[in-house]
Amino acid sequence: MDAAILLKGITKTFGETTAVRELDLVVPRGGLYGFIGPNGAGKTTSIRMIMSILFPDSGELSVLGHSSAREAKDRIGYLPEERGVYRKMRVGAFLTYMCRLKGLPDDSLPDRVKRSLARVGLEGTDRKRCDELSKGMQQKIQFLAAIIHEPDLLILDEPFSGLDPVSARQLRDLVLEEHGRGATVLFSTHVMQQAEEICHHVVMIHRGRKVLDEQVATIRRRYDPRRLRFDPLDMSDPTPALSALAEVERVNRVDGSYEILLVDRTDPAAAIRRIVVPWRPRASRSRGQSWKTSSYNSFRMDGWAPTNNGSAQTFTI
Amino acid sequence: MGADEQRVGADLHDLAAPAASGMKKIGHIAARDFLATVGTRGFIVGLLVVPASIALVISSSPRLFRPRDFQVQGQVAIVDPTGRVTAELRSTLDPRTIAERRRALARQAMAAVPDEMRQFGPNAGSDEAIQIALGGIPNLTLVERSPTADLQQEKQWLTEELTGEDALRPLALVVVRPDAVTPESGRSTYGAYSLYLAAKVGDRIENQIQQSVREAIVNARARALGLEPGSIDSMVRVDRVRSVTISKEGEQQTISAVSRALPFVFVVLLMIGVMMGGQSLLTTTIEEKSNRVIEVLLSAVSPLELMAGKILGQMGVSLAVLGVYVLLGIVVLLSFALVGLLDPWLVFYLVIFFVITHLVMGSLMVAVGSAVNDMHEAQSLVTPIIMLMVIPVMFAAPIARDPTSRFSIVMSFIPPFNTFAMLLRLASSVPPPWWQVWLSIGVGLVSVFAAVWFAAKVFRDWLVDVRQAAQPGNPHSLGESWQLKPECTREK
Repeated sequence: MDAAILLKGITKTFGETTAVRELDLVVPRGGLYGFIGPNGAGKTTSIRMIMSILFPDSGELSVLGHSSAREAKDRIGYLPEERGVYRKMRVGAFLTYMCRLKGLPDDSLPDRVKRSLARVGLEGTDRKRCDELSKGMQQKIQFLAAIIHEPDLLILDEPFSGLDPVSARQLRDLVLEEHGRGATVLFSTHVMQQAEEICHHVVMIHRGRKVLDEQVATIRRRYDPRRLRFDPLDMSDPTPALSALAEVERVNRVDGSYEILLVDRTDPAAAIRRIVVPWRPRASRSRGQSWKTSSYNSFRMDGWAPTNNGSAQTFTI
Repeated sequence: MGADEQRVGADLHDLAAPAASGMKKIGHIAARDFLATVGTRGFIVGLLVVPASIALVISSSPRLFRPRDFQVQGQVAIVDPTGRVTAELRSTLDPRTIAERRRALARQAMAAVPDEMRQFGPNAGSDEAIQIALGGIPNLTLVERSPTADLQQEKQWLTEELTGEDALRPLALVVVRPDAVTPESGRSTYGAYSLYLAAKVGDRIENQIQQSVREAIVNARARALGLEPGSIDSMVRVDRVRSVTISKEGEQQTISAVSRALPFVFVVLLMIGVMMGGQSLLTTTIEEKSNRVIEVLLSAVSPLELMAGKILGQMGVSLAVLGVYVLLGIVVLLSFALVGLLDPWLVFYLVIFFVITHLVMGSLMVAVGSAVNDMHEAQSLVTPIIMLMVIPVMFAAPIARDPTSRFSIVMSFIPPFNTFAMLLRLASSVPPPWWQVWLSIGVGLVSVFAAVWFAAKVFRDWLVDVRQAAQPGNPHSLGESWQLKPECTREK
């Protein structure tokens, strides 16, 4: 497979903290990858290592066939998490400057800048100073600066943070357009819904470790958040009582445990609370997630769990 | 070779391998930084502020430094065991004698002023001009004391309070030594006098009294030898003349005052240019960090390209400033017909030494800018760098006074002072041999390499705010960051 990004056993420590641990990642050319995980999981550090802004303590990486992103900078578009613009610079001049730094010839720049601004509905702003634009508009300009040179690889670190829903949708469409043009896209987010909506493939990182690397379709199949696995302490069959609950659609016996299928659009957290009231659980886990019991009468989900509204959350019951 | 050295090597490779692309990017960064700086109102105002301030100081200095024009009145007591000085002192303290003495002093001072400059001060040397420069003539009344007066009691007189409105304040007590007019038998040297002053007597009045007493004693000595004091004065006075410098281009009157000022002017020009560029580098680097645009730039260029572009851009700014000031200086020299004083090679060396100093100081400034997150943090780190620029200015006077001394020669080869010292020596009346000049330039280039290497390391390792990358375990102090940053951003 021809990989746009290839990480092998990448580890990065900051003092006593290991931000990324033995990370393996392959993003094929033309892929649309979501890099998900809660804040502090190691996403930004990993992306900065891919961009050769930080350097790994150990491991190997390759970007667009080069051992360092520096050798392919002109073919990479990067929207960092910490992003900004020259506030006193005019919008057109800023985008032209970024084009020049990306090695584009001067003769095509005015048209390219105008076309780019039109793509995000900011026609006529090229003579405005960046600080005259709203924060949302500035974010669009930052995004344009990342894609204006039509990169082969687009790396976006939390691109939707701080955007209103309309702007987020517009940005999502632009990301999809870039992918449609043939660019490989890797973007990070801590919101599963965004990854589900856009990506073909999701890599989940938690506490510096990769915990998931799957196609979205496979994840949807395997990690249906509506399916709960339940192991009651009481050995009597809980099926009739569980089936009577409004949140429960079906209960199946699987490998000695009970698999509960929740009704569509049910909040799993709320359903779990209803379920565990009559039965003290021995152990319970959402399918595919790591649930641990710290004692017989309490348990918590040790990790990230997708919910119906797409947000990440940790349960403690 | 360690990993870090490999990384610097990789950085340098970034510049060297795709040379055209890398240099082009550096050029774009330099051009943006240059235009972003010179296009601001602050820059234009700053550019005009220095010459405007100098013009303001020159035009207002007579008023600013004008001595209080009220007349000082008071008594000067004399204890004169020789019996010959008192009469002379009464004469030399006379306001008319003081006025004549000041006129003679003014004539002497004006003799050194070039003809072209006299047209700008046609009244120079007039009583009014002397009055402005030296203040009013003091009205000093001489009070004669007994030659055997008790000295302690007379000293006590200086502390007495005034009682009446017309009472003259005691200002000074002059005690003439017995051998002040005639040497003791068997000796050829004369004695002098002691001067006791009341509290709060200014330097100007003390000088007038000292001059008067000195003149009175000389006059008394002359009369004791049977000579006429006036003829002695005429005999010993030789007016200072303006020398003529002979060169292949012809003869020109030597203008020593302007020549002496020239080295200092060049050093100040060098310092202004470097300070302006250095400060600008510091603030733009910090601004780019706080604007959070730095990581966007690093996605397009390497840290070394970014640093090189910034330093070159601000060097362009400083050269523009320097160019404006040098042009202004040439216009002034042309208007005084003194342009012959300016050796074109001096301007050439000014540019060479400016480039060296800017690269050294600019690299250090950019390193500081990349290591901190705001100006507050930067202040403590910038102070030692500013001291490096202030120290050579402190040494300017001894180097300009004696450009061939061992101190001057040694300073010419110690970076970063060497550029200042060598420029001072080049602009002096005794220029150094050419090999010393080029050796100093060589030393400067080595220091440039060292400063850029150091700055590149700091710039590369500290530019991205690793404190954010480090979360969790987020350190908050600069000290913690210092321990953390080099480790976390170093390529293994």
